[in-house]
This record gives sequence, structure tokens and C-alpha cells, in this order.
Amino acid sequence: MRVVVVGGIEMMESILLLVVGVIATPLLVMIIAKVKAWFSGRKGPAWLQNYSTLIKLLKKQPVYSQSVTFIFRLSPVITMAGLLAALCFLPIAGRPPILAFGGDVILIFYLLALGRFFMICAAMDTASPFEGMGAAREALFGTLAEATVFVVLIFFERLQGGGSLASYLGMQTNAGVWGSDGAATIMVVVALFMVLLVENARVPVDDPTTHLELTMIHEVMVLDHSGPEFALIEAGSWLKLFFFSGFITNLLCLYHNTPLDFLIFTLVLISIYILIGIIESITARYKLELVPKFILTSFALAFFALIFSVRAPL
Amino acid sequence: MDTFFSALLCIFAGGVVPFSLTGNVKVMKFLVIFLMGCGCVLGLYSTLNRFFLPEAVTAVWPLPHILVLALKVDLLSACFLLPIFIISGLAVLYSYHYLDHKQSGRRIATHYFFYALLVVAMALVACADNIPTFALAWELMSLASFFLVIFDFEKSTVRKAGYLYFIFAQAGAMFIFGSFAVVYSSTGSLDFISFASVPVTIKALIFTLAFIGFGSKAGIVPLHVWLPYAHPAAPSHVSAVMSGVMIKMGIYGILRMYMLLQPPGYYCAELVITVGAITGVLGVVYALGQHNLKQLLAYHSVENIGIILLGLGLGMLGVAIDNQPMAILGFAGGLLHVLNHALFKSLLFMGAGAVQQSTGTLAIEQLGGLMKRMRICGVTFLIGSLAICGLPPFNGFISEFLIYRSGFYGVTGTSEPFLFVVLAILSLAIIGGLAIACFTKVLGVVFLGEPRSAGAAKALPAGASMQTVMIILALICTFTGLVPQLVMPLVLPVALFLLPHQALSYDVPMNVMVNHLSFAALGFSLFVGLIIVLRKILTRGEASSSTTWGCGFSQPSSRMQYSGSSFAASLLAFYKPFVQVHEKKTTIHGFFPKTAHYYSQVHDGSEVGLQWGLVRPLLSLTAKLRWLQHGHTQIYIGYLFFTVCGLLLWVVLR
Repeated sequence: MRVVVVGGIEMMESILLLVVGVIATPLLVMIIAKVKAWFSGRKGPAWLQNYSTLIKLLKKQPVYSQSVTFIFRLSPVITMAGLLAALCFLPIAGRPPILAFGGDVILIFYLLALGRFFMICAAMDTASPFEGMGAAREALFGTLAEATVFVVLIFFERLQGGGSLASYLGMQTNAGVWGSDGAATIMVVVALFMVLLVENARVPVDDPTTHLELTMIHEVMVLDHSGPEFALIEAGSWLKLFFFSGFITNLLCLYHNTPLDFLIFTLVLISIYILIGIIESITARYKLELVPKFILTSFALAFFALIFSVRAPL
Repeated sequence: MDTFFSALLCIFAGGVVPFSLTGNVKVMKFLVIFLMGCGCVLGLYSTLNRFFLPEAVTAVWPLPHILVLALKVDLLSACFLLPIFIISGLAVLYSYHYLDHKQSGRRIATHYFFYALLVVAMALVACADNIPTFALAWELMSLASFFLVIFDFEKSTVRKAGYLYFIFAQAGAMFIFGSFAVVYSSTGSLDFISFASVPVTIKALIFTLAFIGFGSKAGIVPLHVWLPYAHPAAPSHVSAVMSGVMIKMGIYGILRMYMLLQPPGYYCAELVITVGAITGVLGVVYALGQHNLKQLLAYHSVENIGIILLGLGLGMLGVAIDNQPMAILGFAGGLLHVLNHALFKSLLFMGAGAVQQSTGTLAIEQLGGLMKRMRICGVTFLIGSLAICGLPPFNGFISEFLIYRSGFYGVTGTSEPFLFVVLAILSLAIIGGLAIACFTKVLGVVFLGEPRSAGAAKALPAGASMQTVMIILALICTFTGLVPQLVMPLVLPVALFLLPHQALSYDVPMNVMVNHLSFAALGFSLFVGLIIVLRKILTRGEASSSTTWGCGFSQPSSRMQYSGSSFAASLLAFYKPFVQVHEKKTTIHGFFPKTAHYYSQVHDGSEVGLQWGLVRPLLSLTAKLRWLQHGHTQIYIGYLFFTVCGLLLWVVLR
């Protein structure tokens, strides 16, 4: 089991990487918008549009409904704090994360669940039937996606051990994942990508760009949030996408402890965002009853991968 | 042991004294709280002391020619005595305002008598060291709690709930005594210590019988049927004690049998894990479909019993495959969840009691917006909900983390146990997700939004003693979540005590792990604080207030809110094979529809199954034997006479 604090210089490097990553998230999300614009023959928004949106939202005066309680204002904060805490455990470009301990994966996904709990409560707090509907859907799909995530965690625990994201995704370990169980790992990557689409409310599960349609899940829950609260929610969604993409990127990359690692990481990360953009451009959102099947497909993939990893020792 | 007995005496005195003060209920309640409070503090003190003693404390009274009463307080007993004294003491304080404007003095005095009896009986169950003592204490516990459940005995639903509980308690006790009988027939000794010398071949049978018996008390599926009836019927502080503490006596019994028998092989572990997984998942799925707040909480007790069994089952499996970290973490997680569940479940039941008292209803669909009107109750209920969902940084997360970690230590094998480990981890994950769905439903519909009835709109904060107790429990839940190092010394030695070789050293860096969790929880709280401060600095001016956006609709009413049934509908539809939802509704026709109604009820599969598979065949069988019953005493004496003659003949001829 690893000790929490790594060496001084390495620690600085890890913090720097995380800060750069967090600051770059609005730009990374813009890649998706640009890809979609390119597919539909438009120019798309300016590259730095998200930054100015964020600043504008932070400056705005919020409007609160008369129905809401403190939970409505607290929930974006909790979600944001949970995401920042979870990101501290994510290794970037093969470098050790800021924090790591045995079992931190459980903490990470429970912190994300804590955010979900509060966002659902905030939606119910507004007394709006639309937001209640979104909340109910979020509760259902979140439950299902969690099952996939834990199968994936069991898979990694079998292959790598250690119970922490650093030991699952660290530099020295990729050979283990892609070794004799490479085929199974491909299935896990696909399953994780599907979870990414579900958890981040992307097409074909949900459409993050429209803010009012009855078939939606995540976006309908934040109808009443405005100003700084909405800024926190937007920034939180970018961080969440970065967390899941970073997770998958670390799986796909092979690092050699050279500066080249950062380049590889960035390229793979960008290509995941491009892939999301392509999927959003060429597929339509599913009907609502198809979404549980979509999530269960990811569960089945992960579960079969787990079964593949159970073989008699050679 | 003297402190322990004076504690029990003090509590019992608190139950007897009220009979002399039936005229003045207020003074009576003061005295009861004082005496029972003193008793519980004393008991807690002696229990905590026990953790620092190297040897178990024993006391034996031989009653010549009848039986021997033997008590022994070892670490396992001490671990279960803790919640008994903590929760019982707090619950009696809560009852001060809860039993405020109700009933006559004599009824309240009787109530406190049985309450004291229940607490003493539970303490004796946890300490009993031979079969007669255990059986006596167990029956005393069941009877006392039966009388507590039927407090409002004028209502027929309450009586029905009481009878149902009584039947399950007695049928469960039959299984337990059956397992004791098997032991006695093979060893000829009534001492618990003799259990170890039972032949290996019948150990599995004894464990299974005891598991069914204790399981019916703990509320394993399908023997949980009494819980959702008994809890709404009982007064809230009684529900808190019954759900938080008394059903854990079932868990205690299972663990005690496991420890005494030391059953070899995988069988027991696999039985416990499988039943735990079914109990946990079905408990929370049924909870989702409930419309009554206390019924919903009762199903969550079923779910949490499942989680505890998963932890203990993983521990047993760890012992069976000789995986020490897995065993220690599993036992420690399960035992810690026993303590944690006692804290947050009694908090939630007390919150439900406060809601019932100030709104006059427990129907979830009639409530709403209570967070504004009952702020302390709302915030403590929120903390309890977060804790029961196992979310960080509250105490429920610590125990669930340990159970997960135990499972993670066990996933490396390729053999049969691996499947059960995967089953345990997956069911924990599914239970966690569903619990979040269920408690966001409760919070969202009961405490948030707008009131759905006049009663909810006029709700007033609960009485001072009720609020105090809820605040204390919420603080303990938060504090032990942030600094779990403080409670680990209460479960870690017990987990080691449960290992067959009584390992003193262990290779799990448990303290390091818990320190990490504490560090992460504090770091997370720091992040929350930082963001709030930043948010304060960045915002300019006052926020403006408006109505919730109705998507263009300008005349919203509180009845348009999403209801609890609609929130749970899609989830229940997903679990359709396991949950049958029965609906009655009128369809809406035309532009100006007539009044419509919608009614839904979730039928518990186990209840229906028991009804058709067991109760009805049994009733039809007994109906056929009804001719035996004449009501003539002479004929009954005749039956006795012929039976005795027959037995004598049988003895002589053999």
C-alpha cells in the first residue's frame, strides 16, 4: 500500500499537472463543440468562449426560487468539491497523483455519488415537476452506471491490486493491463467510455446543449440554477468529463517516463474528446427506454471482461 | 461486573418507579429519564472499561435443581452492549416530548416498564453464557418488545402488527431452540463452551437452524415481513430502539453461533453472503416503493441487515480461505456497520416521529417543504440520510469502505469463493446506488419542495428533548465519519477476537487506512469550505427571489410537484420481476376531465409467498383438525390422560 505523500519535486509536478488540466477543461470541452460545428458546416464558437461564459456567470446576480432551501445553494458546492477531491487521485501522464491510498477508488466514486445525491435533492428542492422528473431519471441511471463502475474496479483489482487509481493506472502497470488480458481490457475501455457518456450526460444518453426538453435527464435538473451556482455546475461538468476521459486515456497510453509522455497523454485525451464530438454529430439521442439497455450493455461488457480474467492459472 | 449489574438495576428501577407516580406524568418522565439515563451511562462506562481488560468477565448463579444462570461479557458482547446503552438512553430522553400529550399516566408507566424490561433483556442476551440464560433473556426481549409495539392497542392495525411480530418472534425462537436442542442431544451440556465439541458433520445443520431463527429477528428476506408492520405501529422511540438495537441481537446471535461452532469450510460464509445480498438488494427495492415514511425506514433496516451480513460473510469467507486481511476487514466492517446503523437509523426513526407529531401523518405524498418549518429535524434527517447511503464524510461510509476493501482483498483467487466475493461487492454497489435514489426521494418529497397538505404547511418544530437527541445523534454520525480513528478501537479488537486463531498481530495496516479516510474526509470538507468562501467573495450584491420557473406555466400548484410514487416509478419498473406494483387508476378523457385518482401499492413478494406457500396450507390443515377442539374440559383432560398413558407404554415397551 502506498503512502499518501510522494516526494517533494514529484509532488510539485503532480500538482502542476492537475492545475493545468483543470484550467484546460473549458478548452477541451470546446473541442467537442468545434467537431460538431465542423460536421454541420459551421464555424463554431470561439475557442475561449467557455472561459468568458464562466466569468460572465460568476459575475451575475443569482435568482433563487421562493421554494428553495439551503440545499439548493449547497449542492453545486458539494458537487464541485467532490470532483476536485476525486481529481486529486487521478494520475496524469503516468505521473503519480497528488494523493493515493489503498481503496481510494471507492472513495472517489462515492464522492461522485455524493455530488449526485445533492444535485437530485437540489432539483427536488425547486418543487418543479420538470426537475423532479430529471431527478428521478438521474437516480435510476446513476444506480445502473455505478454497477458497471464497480465491475470495472473488480477487474482492475484482479489484474493490478492495490485498490487505488494510482496502482490501476500508474506508469509501471500498463503492461499488466494489456498483457495476457488485453482482449478483456478492450472491453473494459469500451464499457468505461459508455459510462463516460452516461455520467456526463452526452449523446446518445442525454443532450447537454439544450436546456429544456422533457426527455432529458441531467440538464433538466439545473433549470433553476443561475449565476455563480450555475457557473459551478458548468465547471463541475467539465471537470467530470476530464476525470473520466483522463481515466480512459491513462488506460490507453504507454508511458516511458520521458517528457514525451505529456504529449502522448494530451493527444490521446484530445482524441477522446474528438470521438465524443463525432458521436454527438452522427448519432441521435436514444429514446428514454433505451438508456437502461445502453447502460446494461456496458455492464455486460465489463462483466464478460471480468469473466475472461478468471482463468485457471497456467 | 458490579457496575454492569448496578446499571441494569438502575434501568429496571426506571421501569418500576413510574407505577407510583401515575398521577403526575411530568415528574414521572423526569424520574424515568434520570434513572434510565444514569443506568445507561453506568452501563456504557462498564462496557467501555471492558475493552481495556484482558479477560472476559463472568458471573454464575446456580439455582439448585432447576438451572444455572451464567453471564459472561467478552469483547463480542461488549461490542453489542455499546449500541444498547447509547441508543436506549437517548431514546428515553426523546420520549419526554414525544409522549407529551398522549394517553393516561398508567399507560405511560406500563410503557416505561416494558421499555426497561426490553433494555435489560437485550443486555442479558448479549451476555448470556449458557443455553437456559440465553433462552430466558431472548424470550423476555421478544415479549417486552411485543408489548411496546402494541402501545396504541385500540387500533386494529396496531394489534395486527403486534400479533404478526409475536408469531415471527416465536417461530424464530423455535428455530433457535431447535439448534440448541441439536447441540444438547449431541453433547449433553448446556454450556456455550460445549458447542465447539459438536461433531463437524452436524455443525452446518446447527448453524443453518440458528441462522433462520436469528435471521427472523434480524429481518433477513423472506423472514422480514414483520418489520414493515411493527415499526409504523410502534411509538417512534421504540422503533428507534427496535430497529437500531434489537434486530442487531439477531446479528449477535449469528456471530455468537459462528464463534462457538467454528464451522469449517465455505458453507456458512456462502450462506451468509447470499442471504445478505438478497436481503440488501430486495430491502432497498421494496423501500423505494413505500408510501409510509416509517415503513420505508423499516425496509431500510432490512437493507442494512443485508449490508452487515455481507461484511460478516466476507469475514467468514476470509477465515475459510485463510485470507487474514479479508477476514479482519470484513468482520470489522460488519461490526462497525452494526454500531453505525444503530446511530443513523434511530436518528431517522426519531426524525420520522417528529414529522408525524407535527404534521399528523406519515404518508410521504402528503408532506413537503418541512425543511423550512422544521429546520433542525430536516438537517439532522439529511445527515442521517447521507450516513445511511454510505456517503462520505459520514460514518456509514467508513463501514461500507471496510466491507468493500475486504471484498477487494478477496478478488484475486480463481476458485469458487471468488464468485461470492464478486456477488458481495456488486450487491453493495447496487444497494448504495438504490439507497441514494430512495433517500433523495424521501428528502425531496418530505422535506424539500412545497407542502402537499394543510398539515404539512402548518408543521411546527419538534419538542426540545426530541431535537436535542437528534442533534446529538447527527453530531456523532458526522464526527465518527470525520475522525474514524476514535471508533476503530471499539471494533478492531472484536474483529481479531472473531478469528479462529485469536490472532494478536495482523498484517492489515488498519490504522493507516483509517487515517487516510479521515484525511480525505477532512480534505473534502476543506474544499467545501474554500468554495463557499470563494463563492461569497465572488458574488456581488443581493440575490433576487422569484418563483420556480414553470416552463411558461403561470399557475403552478404544489400538487403538480413530482410525487414520491412518480419518482420511484421508473426504478420500480426496472426491477419489475422482483417487485409487483399494483395500480388502480382512472384514465383521463376530454378537455375538462372529471376527478381522477391514482392508487399504487407495492406487494412484498415474500409476504405473498409466505401467505400462499405457508399460511394458507397451514390454515386449511388446521381447519381439517378442528373436530379435535370441542371446548369440553373433560375431553381435553382425556387427551392428556391418553397421551401420558401412551408415552408411558412407549417407554416401558422400548
